[in-house]
Amino acid sequence: MERKKLQKSDLSRWLDRIAQEHELIGPSEDDGVIRFQPVESSAEIAVEFANSLIPPKSLFFPAVESLFSFHKRGKDIELEATEPLDRDRVVFGIRNCDVQSLSLLDYVFGQDLEDVYYQERRARTALIALACPTPPRSSCFCTTFGIDPLSSDGSDVLLTDVGDVYLVDVVTEKGEGLVSLAEDLFPGLTDDEARQLQPRPVEMKKVDISQLREKVEALWEDEYWHKMSLPCLGCGICTYVCPTCHCFDIVDVGSTLEGERYRCWDSCMYSDFALMASGENPRPTKRERIRNRYFHKFSTFPSRYGSGYACVGCARCLIHCPGGMEITEVIKDILAKESISE
Amino acid sequence: MQDRLHDIVRKLLGEGTIEYFIGYGAGSEPHRVVPCFVTSDHEVERLVWGPLCLQNLSKYVLQAKDLEGKAGVLVKGCDTRAIVELLKQHQIEREEVVVIGVACQGQVDPRTLEEVLGVPMEQVQGVEDAGDQFVVTIGEDERTVAKEQVLLGKCLYCRHPSAFEYDFTLGEIVPFSIDAGESEFAMVEELERLSVEERRAFWQKQFARCIRCNACREVCYACYCKECIFDRKMPRWLDKPPLLSENEIYHLIRAVHLAGRCIDCRECERVCPMNLPLSRLYKKVQKDIAELFDYEAGIELDEVPPLVSFELDDQDPFM
Amino acid sequence: MAVEGSETGGNGFEPKILMFACNWCSYAGADLAGVSRLQMPANCRVIRVMCSARVRPEFVITALSKGLDGVVVLGCHPGDCHYSEGNYFTRRRGLFLKKLLEYVGIEPERFQVRWVSASEGAKFADTVAEVTRQVKALGPNRPRRNAQ
Repeated sequence: MERKKLQKSDLSRWLDRIAQEHELIGPSEDDGVIRFQPVESSAEIAVEFANSLIPPKSLFFPAVESLFSFHKRGKDIELEATEPLDRDRVVFGIRNCDVQSLSLLDYVFGQDLEDVYYQERRARTALIALACPTPPRSSCFCTTFGIDPLSSDGSDVLLTDVGDVYLVDVVTEKGEGLVSLAEDLFPGLTDDEARQLQPRPVEMKKVDISQLREKVEALWEDEYWHKMSLPCLGCGICTYVCPTCHCFDIVDVGSTLEGERYRCWDSCMYSDFALMASGENPRPTKRERIRNRYFHKFSTFPSRYGSGYACVGCARCLIHCPGGMEITEVIKDILAKESISE
Repeated sequence: MQDRLHDIVRKLLGEGTIEYFIGYGAGSEPHRVVPCFVTSDHEVERLVWGPLCLQNLSKYVLQAKDLEGKAGVLVKGCDTRAIVELLKQHQIEREEVVVIGVACQGQVDPRTLEEVLGVPMEQVQGVEDAGDQFVVTIGEDERTVAKEQVLLGKCLYCRHPSAFEYDFTLGEIVPFSIDAGESEFAMVEELERLSVEERRAFWQKQFARCIRCNACREVCYACYCKECIFDRKMPRWLDKPPLLSENEIYHLIRAVHLAGRCIDCRECERVCPMNLPLSRLYKKVQKDIAELFDYEAGIELDEVPPLVSFELDDQDPFM
Repeated sequence: MAVEGSETGGNGFEPKILMFACNWCSYAGADLAGVSRLQMPANCRVIRVMCSARVRPEFVITALSKGLDGVVVLGCHPGDCHYSEGNYFTRRRGLFLKKLLEYVGIEPERFQVRWVSASEGAKFADTVAEVTRQVKALGPNRPRRNAQ
């Protein structure tokens, strides 16, 4: 891996150069909400931001996407697949927690069955990560889940703010391609600079979660879930702002003659999520639905994919929950329970 | 006031009058005040009262109907209107709930406070009420801001600061008012003055941004239907994908369902993660209901809601 | 469900208008217009309902949001309701809904309420002609469907 530097004042020139070749996507503010969206030029990008409200998973697994359209002509049915992308994309400003969430989603959309829509978007998108500001947002807890907010793991280029310049870590070939678009902006580091320009360490509250999975699994029948679910309102904010939540529904919209098949986000917090055609609902109350959500994050997901926990500590759910439910408190509560073996 | 709150709740729990109390409690960070369910004596100390107690806790009274006993709840003046409406709409019985009323002196809008102070909420250690201003603690510093600068939008036009339907009250009923300078419907009138095309553009942009997380519905005191029309499968009223047409149907049907029932608590707007200006929609509903039928929800218990009644001499432009 | 054919625009634009007619007065009025062989444009699709109060605001909102060009609710004249008072509720709802729809940018002509009695075949034909003319002049309802 190669380390270079970029003057902060040159960032916009680089991004605008990228925008000439690719679709440029960055954190951009619209009616007070920061989200990752396509921009015409670097001027629309918010560089000073903690993190986006809607996680960048939406770029690969959109809130709503058309899979194909259908037309009935006489007895024939014509199907037309929707192309997921027009051209290659470059995402600027993604945080490392969100980069790591994509590696979790890669299991879901790539391990057992390959989801062509997700895979094509992943393959044709380069990630320019932006290391977290120091100090980070006070609610953040990615280090609890073993994520280093300054790491370049999973991204193509990593920019780290060290004052007047960004340190530039070029990680992959894709990343080299992006840097080579404006080679003259990226001088190498002198030996002095390499010593002096170091990222400032990120301090974050950290909890030891090594026993989380076995502790949560012992809690299935516990009364805890009833009381903790009381403030929950049953909306879908926590799942929609979660970078690792990936449940979806598939719906045909249109008539019997023509229409489109859509995939859209769904939420396990909705009362009709597990409802069956017979009318039976295996998760009839908030208690079962919330328990399911935490079980999925801390037990089901890791056991199905042999991965880590399905949480990256971005704190979005905690900040936006209208019922004031805080996942950090839930983790603490779970860990505080006596484990069954004791 | 907080001490008196603790005393009353301790007594109610101790006597076995209530199974749990629904109040405000400190979250994991000082600026975050969250709904707090207190079941036992040692949890009572968690209850707080102050200018960051934003939620309308009346919504939680509905789920307390499952209890064998009663629940207690803390309400501000504005939240009392929800209690009145729930009684009027026969959703709760007065004896089922113990209401503790509080004389509210205005609540802080965190989004506005961040803008006015230029400081993110996570650095705010506390907000104290001090007459016509708030004292905000940031690190070692204390800064004062005038109330009218940072109050929630609804507080600027508050006519019912103190609870008016309660079993206990915390301290005296103190009057509170702010001169907002313009009519409470100014934000509606501003849109009404636009052309129909401009209004269309405004609302289509907003509805297109909706992600349909349903938070506005779930937080609404009036959304107590066992099965919401939007969740029905047979017949299906609404397709799940958040397409513009579906989002528009969602918001307009909600507005119609809230006609004559919206109490201007603006919880829908407050919880909306996408910052949709929902109070502009619901203020319009309140304005029309007031102008057409001279009715305001959540004030008088024995007033008949306007859309389930009629007058023979209602205006008739439909000849 | 999907409504096609309203996107043609220009002079050839033929609007699709949904018309709810109450069984006892307005639908009989439509019958009378028919047997009297009154000429009227063919843009209105009539749905018979037992009372104009059966028309939930949800019907109107859904039709307009899904791209129909206009919705008309026809009921008995106030005082003449077969169920004594159904149309008084329709009147209150109509008053309110019209204002709300205008507020979110739907032209007032696209949603109308009219009273047509069983003997008013001519009024039925006139209403159909007038509403069709008005909606035609407005052009197609915004192509809202599936815009993202």
